[in-house]
Amino acid sequence: MGTRTNVERRTVLKAAGISAVTLGVAATGCGGSDGTSADGNVTIRYSWWGAEERAKKINQSIALFEKKYPKIKVKTDFQDYPSFWEKFQTQAAGGNPPDVFQNAVGFLRKYDKRGVLLDLGSQIDAGNLSLDHFRAGVVKVGQVDGKQLGVPVGSNTMALVIDKKVYEKAGVDPTAGWTWDEYFKALKTIHDKTEIPGDTGYFSIMYLYDLYLRQNGKAFFTKDGLGFEQSDLTEWWTDGYGRVKAGIVTSPKVVAQDTPKSSLSAGHGASEFTWDNFTVRYTAEGTSDYGLAPIPTTDGKDTGQYLASLMLSGSARTKHPKEVAQFIDFMVHDPAVGKIMGYDRGILATTDQYDAFKPTDVVQKEIAQYEVDTAKAGVLGTITPHPSGADTAESAFLRIGGDMALGKTKVADAVKQFFSEAQAAFSA
Amino acid sequence: MGTAVTLVDDAPPDTRQTRSATPAAKKRRGRRENLAGYLFMSPWIAGFLLLTAGPMVASLYFAFTDYNLFDSPKWIGFDNFTRMFDDPRWQKSVEVTAKYVVIGTPLKLLLALGVAMLLAQSRRGQALYRAAFYAPSLIGASVSIGFVWRTLFSDGAVVDRTQSLFGSHVGGWVGDPDWILYSLVALTVWQFGAPMVIFLAGLKQVPRELYEAAAMDGAGPFRRFWNITLPMISPVLFFNVLLETIHSFQIFGSAYVVSNSQCGPADATLVYTCYLYQQGFKNAQMGFASAMAWMLLLAVALVTAVLFWSQKKWVHYEEDAQ
Repeated sequence: MGTRTNVERRTVLKAAGISAVTLGVAATGCGGSDGTSADGNVTIRYSWWGAEERAKKINQSIALFEKKYPKIKVKTDFQDYPSFWEKFQTQAAGGNPPDVFQNAVGFLRKYDKRGVLLDLGSQIDAGNLSLDHFRAGVVKVGQVDGKQLGVPVGSNTMALVIDKKVYEKAGVDPTAGWTWDEYFKALKTIHDKTEIPGDTGYFSIMYLYDLYLRQNGKAFFTKDGLGFEQSDLTEWWTDGYGRVKAGIVTSPKVVAQDTPKSSLSAGHGASEFTWDNFTVRYTAEGTSDYGLAPIPTTDGKDTGQYLASLMLSGSARTKHPKEVAQFIDFMVHDPAVGKIMGYDRGILATTDQYDAFKPTDVVQKEIAQYEVDTAKAGVLGTITPHPSGADTAESAFLRIGGDMALGKTKVADAVKQFFSEAQAAFSA
Repeated sequence: MGTAVTLVDDAPPDTRQTRSATPAAKKRRGRRENLAGYLFMSPWIAGFLLLTAGPMVASLYFAFTDYNLFDSPKWIGFDNFTRMFDDPRWQKSVEVTAKYVVIGTPLKLLLALGVAMLLAQSRRGQALYRAAFYAPSLIGASVSIGFVWRTLFSDGAVVDRTQSLFGSHVGGWVGDPDWILYSLVALTVWQFGAPMVIFLAGLKQVPRELYEAAAMDGAGPFRRFWNITLPMISPVLFFNVLLETIHSFQIFGSAYVVSNSQCGPADATLVYTCYLYQQGFKNAQMGFASAMAWMLLLAVALVTAVLFWSQKKWVHYEEDAQ
């Protein structure tokens, strides 16, 4: 009997031990550390969206940073754009966002409203981060209601990216100040001469419709909602649908099959409205030569363009605001980092980096020239405000616009659907 | 839980001990052994409570709230549920899912049964055929197969070229709102191997003498199938119908990958779980998404209940015959 009891006790203890170990492991998994180790070293997490090419450049830049600040370690991770924001939202909701991350104007109010973004103001006052030497007007992109929520790393503007070979073959030569009528006539010429649709689907791109509205005294967004009427959009989409049916704009079916590649670089369209720095991507993706053309206008002059920007933001929950500020400061000002990054995230935002990097390849030279020309033409305005929910409204615009162009939804229903989804996004 | 405890209770009594132990000591020993059993199970119990039961209770609560992941949930009663019925995209997702289940499941089971009947006969190289037909079930759910499918069904790819030979000018199915769902149906039908193996096991159980007797009485192949095979394998058929139907309702991966995470175009592949995912993780409408999840659970439970009720009419268990 005595022996038996011992065996049982041992069994019980073992079982308890195993459970404790398992639970212990689980507990370690859950418990986050604050990133400070015993020797005073600090680790900060840096997340961004992009692809392999950008990853290489960023890792090189971080190596420079860690050399200058040996006590700060930077841990990185990256995804593509949509996955990045899905992951970020979940992390931020769980109170565990990265300490520092890539950001864009469409997300500033959304995450400010939810208390996720660090106001860098106090770090600027403390001298850990400098806002000097930024190119004119760029810093403003990161400001919301007097708070500095993001620091621009590069600036970009919407442009018309064209397949140079196709444009040449069709004999179309875009000039500054050309009008929408001229643009749509050009699409027809291109289609007649080359059988390639002239445009990949301009009518569902939020940032382009924004420019068109700005040319007409409106804008896509106001501070808390939409800046246009259902009748405006009905007209815009009715015309768009007509042009798809006429074959001068790429069918959304083809666009869907080409994704994640762009239909422009896949050779299924001759031009696409997008950010000027995207020529870098399309040149890597496609087989033709890609260049930049001016945005069509309503009055022969005003393009409605403005400088937008990719930014670095900090988390309001970071335990190391000082180190985060030092990191951002280094990434935007250090000339060596500028040389490594080039125009991958837009034209370098500070003069420190802008002057240090001299592009040698045609594509990057053309981007620089485009922004110089745009600035010279005096068409750059103040950026459109982006309310909380702007990101959701943008993707709904793209999706519903595509559905409409497939002929599956009547234009009037599509417009109603967009307005109701946008309202839901703003009030979420 | 119950099983493990019973195992301890039912263990063959240690004769040495039963002889000497008093009832009180036995009871004490039993309790100790129960405790040991529970301790052994504790990692599993903890996992169940933390990872399954807890989240389920939480999601039931969220289903009745407006919850954007950041602000604390606001109680709104049944609003999420009433909102669903007014939401055109929710209706569309129900329609797409129903279409997928109603078309895909019977096709898959028919093919599985047909091939199982061919393979039930003794033939050379049978093991090879079985393995070959089963293989798609192993890999079919993977993301890479989704990408392969996307490519196969694009303009100018294999499917497009094959159908043009027969004079069809539909083009690729991917990107075409009228056709893309059928590429998903094709993907699930292609994975008929798993129900096929179960059918095969069922077919092997049918006593040969029944067929011999029927043949003697002059019953043709169709009659033998209808009057012998089908009733005899009806429990297996029931099992397969149940499993495949429940499984179909939960389609997500293939729709997400084949449509390049858009569940489109024109919401043509907006299956229920995909809309749930978009609402929860893209639009941060976690309350609405939770309500959708419970609605799906209710719908699947209802369909299952109807199937169980219907089996009285068409499923024959052997003990009924005796």
